Amino acid sequence: MSTKIKKRGLAFYIKIYFKIIAQDIKSKMSYRADFIISNLGMIIQHGASFITFWILFQNFPSVMGWEYEEMLFFYGFSLIAMTPMQCLFDNNWFLRHKVYSGDFIKYCFRPINVFFYYISEIFDLKGIGLFTAGTAILIYSWSKLELAFSVLTLGLLVINLVAASLFMIAIMNLAAATCFWTINGGITMVFAQQFQSYARYPITIFGKFLRFVFTFVIPMAFVSYYPSLTFLSPDEIPLLTWLCPLIGVAFFLLSYFVWMKGAKNYSGTGS
Amino acid sequence: MTKEKNGAVISLGNISKEFRTLNRREGLKGSILDLFSRNYKIIKAVNGISFDIQPGEKVGLLGPNGAGKSTAIKMMSGVLKPTSGEIRVNGVIPYNNRTKNAQNIGVVFGQRTQLWWALPLIESFKLLKDIYLIEDADYKNMLELYKSIIDLEPLLKKPVRQMSLGQRTLSDILASFLHNPKVVFLDEPTIGLDVSMKSKIRELVLELNRVRNTTVILTTHDIGDVDALCERVIIIDKGSKLYDNSIEELKHFFGSYRTLKIMFDKKAYNEKTLLTDVDELQRLFGGIEHADGIVSVSKNEEWIDILVDEDKCAVVELLSVVRKYKKVADIKLDEISTEEVIKRIYEGD
Repeated sequence: MSTKIKKRGLAFYIKIYFKIIAQDIKSKMSYRADFIISNLGMIIQHGASFITFWILFQNFPSVMGWEYEEMLFFYGFSLIAMTPMQCLFDNNWFLRHKVYSGDFIKYCFRPINVFFYYISEIFDLKGIGLFTAGTAILIYSWSKLELAFSVLTLGLLVINLVAASLFMIAIMNLAAATCFWTINGGITMVFAQQFQSYARYPITIFGKFLRFVFTFVIPMAFVSYYPSLTFLSPDEIPLLTWLCPLIGVAFFLLSYFVWMKGAKNYSGTGS
Repeated sequence: MTKEKNGAVISLGNISKEFRTLNRREGLKGSILDLFSRNYKIIKAVNGISFDIQPGEKVGLLGPNGAGKSTAIKMMSGVLKPTSGEIRVNGVIPYNNRTKNAQNIGVVFGQRTQLWWALPLIESFKLLKDIYLIEDADYKNMLELYKSIIDLEPLLKKPVRQMSLGQRTLSDILASFLHNPKVVFLDEPTIGLDVSMKSKIRELVLELNRVRNTTVILTTHDIGDVDALCERVIIIDKGSKLYDNSIEELKHFFGSYRTLKIMFDKKAYNEKTLLTDVDELQRLFGGIEHADGIVSVSKNEEWIDILVDEDKCAVVELLSVVRKYKKVADIKLDEISTEEVIKRIYEGD
């Protein structure tokens, strides 16, 4: 055996990640019908929401000062921001089941990070439908609103989308991690998913209490509302919008540490 | 420290593990009250176990359900932290260095595959090669070794989800040895498998242990596994170690019992005389020198069973006494089974 000591650094993890994901996609592609139907379903689901929006705004010219195209902007932005969560972190949905059945223990036997190993296992292709719907809606509203477009705005868009998706991922990480401590972990996942649909609305349409909740308790407002303001009201960007990328990274790290603490806490069921 | 002292690959020094569980109350009212309860019950899953295991040893870790075997394995593999005591695996404290420890061990759980469900085995192997940073040459050598022991080709291209339980277990064992670990833990590897698959798996493990000098720790309820694989047996129950010695010694644990079965020549004796044989033999043995070595004499259809403690009375001697007086048609000699001995240890004889 070689005595060379090799470190498992970032390059190692990126390489492993793409290899595992590539294998997963390859095996999923062999179920072509499943791939097509689930993505079509995703596009139809969001197409239907789009129509609801459209009907709504046939009757009301604006909601709390927000116009139709602006509402669409929030919506499209939120869909893209949810894509990484949907594609890359979907295995969180199966965590509860694996923890209760005791199958989770297998993730503890490999010489790599447990969170990474667990999350890398699944790449959910449904996210492609989500991304397609989101991008179409965002481009449509962007052009209708006649927003400026330059390399700078594109850069800002990417940064804000990344930050927003970190919030979304972190919320789901935390919701999933509750199953390490409680028996009713499924409830928190469903609960968090229910709140996902609120992410697409500007929080000013809610009352004071919900505005507080969606900003400081379950930060759904950071998934679309705050980052979108960078483009929708470039003249008066609130402080929270500026801080969005910073808080996003911090919040993601927090969710990661909580998740890992839960995994350490886990002792497996007897066999 | 222990490692330098005696060269052990695994050493457990007075290990204990306690679990804290809530004393749950009954009914809906009880569950609500439990939310605020501080009424915990301490369960000692493992209670002061010590042992050293040398490189290349094949050790059976036995015990009834809930004895603490799984807890012990989880502590050795770094998943659980012992409440007290010291564990070293390859000189590393497993819980404090989980990833470093994981590089040196392999783990197989009989009914839970650790391979990627959708992938053909060869793709799983390639991923493991990357994860464990296995050198190309070492990887190739290992595959060659596998091919020399079993028919690997049909397995390699098969996705794990399409495999039978036996093929999956076999694949999991191959995967656990792939990075040439110092220690492999096999937790009930042959559970639910047919006889030929069981023997295939035993042969594979024996051969890999022989060639690579890999330490094998096996937990099982199948005594066939123990007889086929283990040189040494550690029996634990209720968290404590009851027995730790070689498998031969185990059979002598309650004295060296063997059963001598005798069938008399039917032509020489009729049925009636046979019925009185038991009494007659007992009278006969009464006079010999080591009569206290004869534990019991009984009739079992056409066989006469004589249970002998060989430490006191040799079977050969006994047989010659019988043959002086009786015409013997056939004899059989039964060892006391490992299963029998273990059952008696569990039952606290």
